[in-house]
Amino acid sequence: MKAMDVAKAALAVVDGEAEAVAHVERSGLARFADSEIHQPTLIENVVVTLRVVRDSRSGVATTNKVDDAGLAELARRAADAAESAPADGTFPGLGPATEPPVVEGDDEETARLGPDDQARLAAAAIEAAGPLPAFGFFTSAVTELAVASSTGLAVKQRMTDASALVVAADEGRSGYAEQTAWRAGAVDPAAVGNAAAAKAEKTAGSTEIEPGTYGAVLEPYALADLIEYFAHDSFGALGLLEERSYLSGRLGQQVFDKKISIADDSLDPRGLPKAFDFEGTPKQRVQLIENGVARGVVWDRETAAQAADGAQSTGHAPPPDSRDWGPLPYALSIAPGEAESVEELAELVGDGIYITRLHYLGVVHPREGVITGMTRDGTFRIRNGKIAEPLLNLRFTVAVPELLHEVYGLTRSVQLVNSQNFYGERYPYGVLAPAVACAKFALTGVGSKPGI
Amino acid sequence: MPDLATKRPGLLAREVIMRAKRADFAPIVRDLCASAIDAATGAGAEYADARVVLKRNQLVATKNGRVERLSDSESEGIGVRVLVNGAWGFACDRRLTADGARDAAVRACTFARAAAGNHSRALTAIEPQTGKHRSAMERDPFDVSLSDKVDLCLRADEALTGRDIVVRQAMVRAQREYKLLLTSEGTDVEQELIECGAGIDCAASGDGVFQLRSYPSAHVGSSCQSGWEYVEGLDLVGEAPRVAEQAAALVRADECPSGLTTVVLDADQVALQVHESVGHPTELDRIYGMEASYAGTSFLKPTDLGSLRYGSEHMNITADATTSGGLGSFAFDDEGVPAARVPVVEGGLLTGFLTSRETAARIGSGKGGSMRADGWNRMPLVRMTNLHLEPGEGALDDLLADVDDGIYMETNRSWSIDDKRLNFQFGTQIAWEINGGKLGRMLRDATYTGITPQFWGSLDAVAGPDSWRLYGLTNCGKGQPGQSAHVSHGAAPARFRNVQVGVKS
Repeated sequence: MKAMDVAKAALAVVDGEAEAVAHVERSGLARFADSEIHQPTLIENVVVTLRVVRDSRSGVATTNKVDDAGLAELARRAADAAESAPADGTFPGLGPATEPPVVEGDDEETARLGPDDQARLAAAAIEAAGPLPAFGFFTSAVTELAVASSTGLAVKQRMTDASALVVAADEGRSGYAEQTAWRAGAVDPAAVGNAAAAKAEKTAGSTEIEPGTYGAVLEPYALADLIEYFAHDSFGALGLLEERSYLSGRLGQQVFDKKISIADDSLDPRGLPKAFDFEGTPKQRVQLIENGVARGVVWDRETAAQAADGAQSTGHAPPPDSRDWGPLPYALSIAPGEAESVEELAELVGDGIYITRLHYLGVVHPREGVITGMTRDGTFRIRNGKIAEPLLNLRFTVAVPELLHEVYGLTRSVQLVNSQNFYGERYPYGVLAPAVACAKFALTGVGSKPGI
Repeated sequence: MPDLATKRPGLLAREVIMRAKRADFAPIVRDLCASAIDAATGAGAEYADARVVLKRNQLVATKNGRVERLSDSESEGIGVRVLVNGAWGFACDRRLTADGARDAAVRACTFARAAAGNHSRALTAIEPQTGKHRSAMERDPFDVSLSDKVDLCLRADEALTGRDIVVRQAMVRAQREYKLLLTSEGTDVEQELIECGAGIDCAASGDGVFQLRSYPSAHVGSSCQSGWEYVEGLDLVGEAPRVAEQAAALVRADECPSGLTTVVLDADQVALQVHESVGHPTELDRIYGMEASYAGTSFLKPTDLGSLRYGSEHMNITADATTSGGLGSFAFDDEGVPAARVPVVEGGLLTGFLTSRETAARIGSGKGGSMRADGWNRMPLVRMTNLHLEPGEGALDDLLADVDDGIYMETNRSWSIDDKRLNFQFGTQIAWEINGGKLGRMLRDATYTGITPQFWGSLDAVAGPDSWRLYGLTNCGKGQPGQSAHVSHGAAPARFRNVQVGVKS
């Protein structure tokens, strides 16, 4: 079943203005624990969301019943919702017909992977972890997105994605690694298992460290996670309009170290490319931070209309069930630096801590960009410029602008870090991030030792 | 069991369902489940279960006087779980047809066979169950028109207007979930669970300070397995002016100081504390490492049962799937295990885990009863049902009266806890100093942190039954692919001594 066929079929049963967003998913996820696949899940679904507009009033209904009767019922419910809404003076109207850019992101070999392949690739990751118990998954999917509307808009894209993730762990030891790409051939589950196990081996005998502010090296996993949380409040137009963004009142100002540049770039083939957003607007590359200066945020049609200051959509309307957050950057890209390795970054720090990844982040103060969380699966001391003894998992509470105020360096290479946790309908996205060395990372507590 | 869909080639069972009254469509979906079970056992499964789920959700949300969300969504399909040579497999199909049911079953078996390993997964024995259940309610929330829901939200939104208020939000939601479960062991249970909820939030901003205030709870209000009477009882419009005034006052309030002090938490924050630091660590799948790659594990070991001191003698925690109105209430879980009320912590001693049939068999005690799936296209996982901190005695004022110097904190704002559920840090929207047993000046940006057993060990009072409230959360995440569970917690205000507050970055 093709997404565009479903979208057009949904539109066909509406008399008047409407927009249909259709999503088709075929995915498999072979999840494993203690080196055995324990939760293998195959999903096939088709979901269509219909927005009916009556003057400036709009209502939305969603279904996965896509035969004639199901779509007729969908149209009735969407129309009922629209007729229940008051007029909205800021409604921007449905998006016009557009020609989205041509992007990569679709790989036939990945699309063909089935349960046998997914289980085989999971097994490769498990085996590569060696004697250490492995926990993680291999997953691949083909998804198709189409947006069509009564304005003549009709855009579609097929996307593939694959990820391998391994936590190699036993009592007192744990390591983490992950790879994501739109080509399964670019994901090496054995390398992921190997890397996780190698990291875990180094974490035995972890020790405490006094809370305080330390220089730190953050691997791409950790930096990507932190910036993504910060982005939710600070890099979207709604956060700016509602004054919870750190960038509120700071556009044009130096907010980070000059070494930091951050864009949102869905067109980059190194990421998980997208041609258009959930309003059908073509994706644009948006410079968020340039050499430390706050340059802008991402917009959708709704927030651009609310701003009423000439702002235009940058192609960042979120999926229908995530509209509460407003437009969000789904393809964050942090510019690399000059360092050849994380070891070189450790030399720049001299004395501090080394962090592989983070866990369970929470935004403490959105406006100040303060985030708390824990380190996990590979935290080490840096002594005399070398990565030294392992540490217990540590609680941190950092203001991201403070963390990025003084940056010693970033690696030349960047890694695509998967950001989706596969809730709801699959929409692959991630962050392109290097490793970073920074002067101030605030540790506020000590947690448990690594491992399970 | 006859396969109605097979006997009517070309006729979608769902079309029959759409035309049929509720009482009539159970036989149809039952036949689909039976087809799936037959296909799975025919393909070599030693165990199979099939769940048909039909779910509908309505959400109305307003922001700053305009309707922001007005949506009505539905989803249906069949999920089939199998054990083949001791290995699990799960597949699903949105088509409620005999073909869809059989395809899902065969694909589940294929995936199970492909799962390499030395599997020997077993399920604890239960008697086959049969039964029907429907949530108790007075007024079906889907009988309330969308117009009336919009009107309520807009009135509450308007009532939040005030000085320094930059964002006003109101929300109401409703969900109906019909599910029918058949297992190859003979279980045949049918349930319809109806819930609704509501909430208001506002944000105030001034002089670079941004503050939030919510009612009745943060994070998408609060929900209950109930009819529309629950939403009416919340009195969103009546509460809105207080919420707005507090948000504005917070902008000018002093910051919460740092130090070790006595903390009194309101029932809402206690509910989240129970969820994160008792609910998740007592999930036996986490204890066995089954969630290590995402949500994390637990500081508890299987051998801690009956011996580990979790907290003080004032700590009594119960998992209760029979709680009236609880979002985690049901007659049968998604393995067909009957609902039960189970003590988890008694007088501070760990006495129970949250289990599935598989984990109960592995630990050799219990029979499961905590398995739930997020819809038809996800595998059931061990989830909290309704996890309560049992009440003590007295009221909030009694708890405050015994505090010379401390902080009272209300309504969650931020939360974080480590992968073993030991080191946590929470922030609340609002706080007040406690001086000489009375509330003093308002404080903003209050946070507290601790280590789970030490923190619960410092519990020295829980308010009584009159202060005990049920809070419903709809955003409990777990699993890969991700699943969101709905769960309730009953809690009353509680007092903790020597707590670290005012964590600074």
